[in-house]
Amino acid sequence: MLPKQDFKVALIGNPNAGKSSVFNNLTGLRQKVGNFPGVTVDKKTGMFVIEGKTINVIDLPGTYSLYPNSADERIVLNIITNPNDNSFPDAIVYIADATQLERHLLLFTQLRDLNIPTILCLNMMDIVEEQGINLDIKKLEAYFNTDIISLNARSGSGMQELKQQILLLSNMSVLTRKKMFYQPQPKELEMAEKIRFEIPEVRSTYQAILLAHHFNALPHLNTTWKETISKITKNVGFEDLRFQITETLQRFNSLQPIIQEVVIKKKENAEKTFTDVIDEVVTHAFWGPILFFGILFLIFQSIFTFAEIPKNGIEHLFIYTNTFIKEKLGDFWLTDLFTNGILAGLSGVLAFIPQIMILFLFITLLEEVGYMARAVYLFDRVMQKVGLNGRSIVALVAGGACAIPAIMSTRTISNKKERLITILVTPFISCSARIPVYTLLVGFVVQSTHHGFFNEQGLVFTGLYLLGIVTALSASFVLKKILKTEENTFLALELPSYKLPHWRNVFLTLYEKVKTFITQAGSTIMVVSIFLWFLASFSPSPKRIITDIENYKTTHTSASDSLTYQNYESSKKLEYSFAGYLGKAIEPVIRPLGFDWKIGIALLSSFAAREVFVGTMATIYSVGDAADNTETIRDKMIKEKRPDGTPLYTLATSLSLLIFYVFALQCMSTLAVVQRETKSWFWPIIQFIFMGLLAYVSSFIVFRLFS
Amino acid sequence: MASEIGKLSDFKDGQKGILKSIDDDAIATKLISMGMLPGKIIELVRRIPFGGGIYVKVEDMVMALRIVEADHIIVEDL
Repeated sequence: MLPKQDFKVALIGNPNAGKSSVFNNLTGLRQKVGNFPGVTVDKKTGMFVIEGKTINVIDLPGTYSLYPNSADERIVLNIITNPNDNSFPDAIVYIADATQLERHLLLFTQLRDLNIPTILCLNMMDIVEEQGINLDIKKLEAYFNTDIISLNARSGSGMQELKQQILLLSNMSVLTRKKMFYQPQPKELEMAEKIRFEIPEVRSTYQAILLAHHFNALPHLNTTWKETISKITKNVGFEDLRFQITETLQRFNSLQPIIQEVVIKKKENAEKTFTDVIDEVVTHAFWGPILFFGILFLIFQSIFTFAEIPKNGIEHLFIYTNTFIKEKLGDFWLTDLFTNGILAGLSGVLAFIPQIMILFLFITLLEEVGYMARAVYLFDRVMQKVGLNGRSIVALVAGGACAIPAIMSTRTISNKKERLITILVTPFISCSARIPVYTLLVGFVVQSTHHGFFNEQGLVFTGLYLLGIVTALSASFVLKKILKTEENTFLALELPSYKLPHWRNVFLTLYEKVKTFITQAGSTIMVVSIFLWFLASFSPSPKRIITDIENYKTTHTSASDSLTYQNYESSKKLEYSFAGYLGKAIEPVIRPLGFDWKIGIALLSSFAAREVFVGTMATIYSVGDAADNTETIRDKMIKEKRPDGTPLYTLATSLSLLIFYVFALQCMSTLAVVQRETKSWFWPIIQFIFMGLLAYVSSFIVFRLFS
Repeated sequence: MASEIGKLSDFKDGQKGILKSIDDDAIATKLISMGMLPGKIIELVRRIPFGGGIYVKVEDMVMALRIVEADHIIVEDL
């Protein structure tokens, strides 16, 4: 026998019960986010120590019952019906919203019937008081024959009692069997008995009933068990949905009388609650969407205004560190790998963090106060028309900063088809990495910047964003027609009451999102950036570089030490590197779009992150380390000629290149995250080809039209 | 006053009724587990025009539903 491991508790409760507040309060920063094996649902785990004993805590997704509707909710059922699961808890901490007692106790009665030790916590006791409600907790304790902990997870009151209660439970080994809350129908009892007889591992009658309902979808059952259960359910004439409805109604019927005794209203509820008043505007058919777009505008303004400062700071710090290391270590390929490969990659990852932090700060805040559910309600119909779900709006908004966290946010969409379409079209939304590219190129499209009230470059910018949005919606409309599904799609969304944000929760969510971005997107960006460094630094024919440089030296004797010479040297090194040859190799393919091999190199290097385009342009055009100096690069680009002497960056070429950047999926991190979320390489590859073809064809048409 | 039985989706904005039943089993399982129980008072607070979502209140709970979901909710006029 293995020694008894640390005690494990799982937090379970309905959505909006305040579970994450309890989790944050119990574990603080000692939490990590992983994945449940085989599914992409976040698994939040943490721990705390009490009287020398370590208690592990798992935060399970919120669900209304053990009859799940989404991948998130299914996790709870999978774990709770499988005692061999790694996450199967020694005890459950059940969190109920004390202001919505009746609804929140349904799941509690189900868990209780599974005979897993459970601690019942009533959360939001402060709001109960505010509403002028008295709860006769003693009566409820007597009814369920259990201790009840009163919590206010936001202020932290009651948390110490909860910890003590968990400790107490961890020292007890005997579990007293309680009478089932639910009284199964004779057919169900007969069936459960048969199942338990055939499969002795099934611990309780209710577990057997749950297996009968869900055996097809439960990954932990082997085929023999599935066949056995399937045969038994057929023999007794088991009706899945009917029995579920009967069971749920019976549970509520039993709960209602006791709830009426426990909940004592001291005063009648006001005609209109705070939430009602706010929702008159927020969910208004006309003002609601206007407010939404106002909030959106505010978010993007903040990203552009506030993220620039730390972003430039980070970039300058890296340029400074690079120069410092080069000076100290000398010119050596390892120095180069460290500075231009690893540090450049790291800088690319960190430069995104201010934007991602601001975006997630807003999304988390909107989620915390309860606004997000309203946005879902407002846009569900429009989203449905194009094959998406109201919940897709969150991903599409987040896509404006970065597709990676946006795609990860689709996990709450229960319908598989709608979730897949959302994942596939989100990269069409112009992300923040495209902004530097747009900024550089837009100058070639419109010359004058100010024209009365309008900023013409601003208009082109807006046009590019709109093009991305329209394409995303059109693409999903096409995908809706192509993809088939039998699955039901639900909205049925609870709109939680508005609450003031709790800063501890906001901070911890933000911390966790940024950490996820760094570890997941960051690692891809690093690997690609080192690979690109290799391609750009090594040459299959080093002799040609030397010959060219010797020639340059003889013609430009006075300049041999100047910056001009150094820049010439690095541009030649790039031209004859593997990357240079690759650029030349793809030139015939991209020539119809108006691109030359230099643009080819920049296109390839964009796979690390699209904004690398600007840096690569700087190197190609010998601007050197002035990578952030868009003006300098633009001056060089204006002078750039085709072999026939005509300027390269004409309106046609620049527009074609802009369109290419709107459509093409040139981002390794996005591909990696799509692979992870869809659990197949098929979808990222299809997405890459589809977006690439669209980019190619559109750029071609634009180039032809304007030349 | 004669009470009429009809669909929630036919309610006018601000109209209240008593929830009688839900005539689609798949939708019923979802809504009942969220506490939308027969016998409760349900109010259609407002809706988004042109077939958009509807905003309903069931006692203390506020919910967003699709028209197709509300089509299956049978209510009795209050």
